[in-house]
Amino acid sequence: MSYLFATLFYVSLGIFAAGLALKLRQYWSVPAPLKIPTTPAPITRSGVVFRMFREVVFFESLFRATKWTWIFGWMFHLGLALAFVRHLRYVVSSDFFIWPLINNWLVQFAGQYASLIMLVGLLGLLGRRIFVDRVRYISAPSDYLMLILIIMITVSGIMMSFIAPIDVVGLKAFMVGLMVFDWQELPSSIFLIIHLGLVAVLAIIFPFSKLLHAPGVFFSPTRNQVDNPREQRHVADWARSLDLDSADQSSG
Amino acid sequence: MRAILGQLFLLGPMLIVGSVVAGDRVSLPKYPQPVGEKCVEPADIMRREHMNFILHQRDETVYKGIRGITAKHSLKDCIDCHAGYDEQGKAMPINAKGQFCESCHNYVAVSIDCFGCHRTTPDEINKMRQLTVKFNQDRPYGGE
Repeated sequence: MSYLFATLFYVSLGIFAAGLALKLRQYWSVPAPLKIPTTPAPITRSGVVFRMFREVVFFESLFRATKWTWIFGWMFHLGLALAFVRHLRYVVSSDFFIWPLINNWLVQFAGQYASLIMLVGLLGLLGRRIFVDRVRYISAPSDYLMLILIIMITVSGIMMSFIAPIDVVGLKAFMVGLMVFDWQELPSSIFLIIHLGLVAVLAIIFPFSKLLHAPGVFFSPTRNQVDNPREQRHVADWARSLDLDSADQSSG
Repeated sequence: MRAILGQLFLLGPMLIVGSVVAGDRVSLPKYPQPVGEKCVEPADIMRREHMNFILHQRDETVYKGIRGITAKHSLKDCIDCHAGYDEQGKAMPINAKGQFCESCHNYVAVSIDCFGCHRTTPDEINKMRQLTVKFNQDRPYGGE
C-alpha cells in the first residue's frame, strides 16, 4: 500500500505539474487582440494590481454578481487556504525557517476548524446546483463531480482531524520520505487512504478541469488590462509586425 | 489570500531541494527511552489516541471524582515512565526540547496545553512518600 501510494503521488504530481505548465503556456501565448477591461477599470498598472488583488482575495466581481454564490464560494476558498497552511506541517521540516509560522497554535487551530467552514461552503455550492432551477439547468456532470470530489476529501480530512485520529508522526515520515526518495510506511487508516487517493485524483484532473480558474483568473483580459485605450494604442504582440502605425509608435 | 498561496506553492520545490541537500534523509523524532515493561495501551493505539485517553481520564477524575488505582490513563503516570533524566539524575521537563512529549509534538506542529496546569516532571514528593511507606514496611515499627 505504501509503495502504491508513493507511485500514485509521483505520477499524479507529474501530471499536475506538466499539465499545469502546458496550460499556463497556452494562457500566456494566446492573443488578446482587443482592449476589453470591464469598466470602471483602473487607468494605471498599479491600479490593475490592486484590482486583481481584490478579485483574487475577495472575489469582487462574484460579490457584485451573486451574493449567495459569493458567500459559499468565499467560505470554501478561505477554509481551503487555512487548511492548506495547516497541511504544510507534513512537508516542512521542523528546522526550516518558516516552521515557527506553521508551528503556531493559532495557525493550526484555524486550519483545523477551517475544514468545517470549507464543508459548509461546499454544501452550499452543491445545494445551489441542485435547488436553484436556472443553475441546475446549466450544470454539467463535471460540475457535480468536482464538488463531490472535494467534499469527500474534506469529509475524510474532518474524520481524521476530529473523530478517528491517525498516526500523524508516521504520516509526516511518509510525506518527507516521498520528498527525499527514502520511502516510509504509510500509517494505516481507511480515511487516510480515501483522503490521499482522492487528492491524487484531484491533482490529475486539475489541469483538465474548471479548477484552472485558479491560475486562469490572472490571465483574464477583462480584469488584467489597464483602461488606457486612448492614451496608448493597444496592439497585440503577434499583430505588431503587421501594423504600420504601431511600428511608428514603438520607435517614437 | 490566494496571492499568498501562490507564494507558498513556490515553497514546495524549495523545500524539496532544501531537504535533499540537507541529506539526512527522513528525520524522525528522537526521545528518551521510557522505563517499565509496557505502556498502558499498545503503542500504535497510544500514538493515535493518547490525547483522548487523557481527556477522558480528566472527565473521570475531575467531573466524576473517580481517583486512585482505577486511573489507567493518568497523565502523572505517563510522566513517571517517560521522563528523561540529565547527567545529575535530575528529571527533565517532559515538554522540554527533545523530551518525550515535545519531540513528536514539535515534529508535527501540535501544541500541548497540559502543562499550563500540570507538572512536567515526576512527582518527587509523591515518590518520597512511596519510598517512606516501603521503608517502614521493610522495617516494622520498633525495629533496629
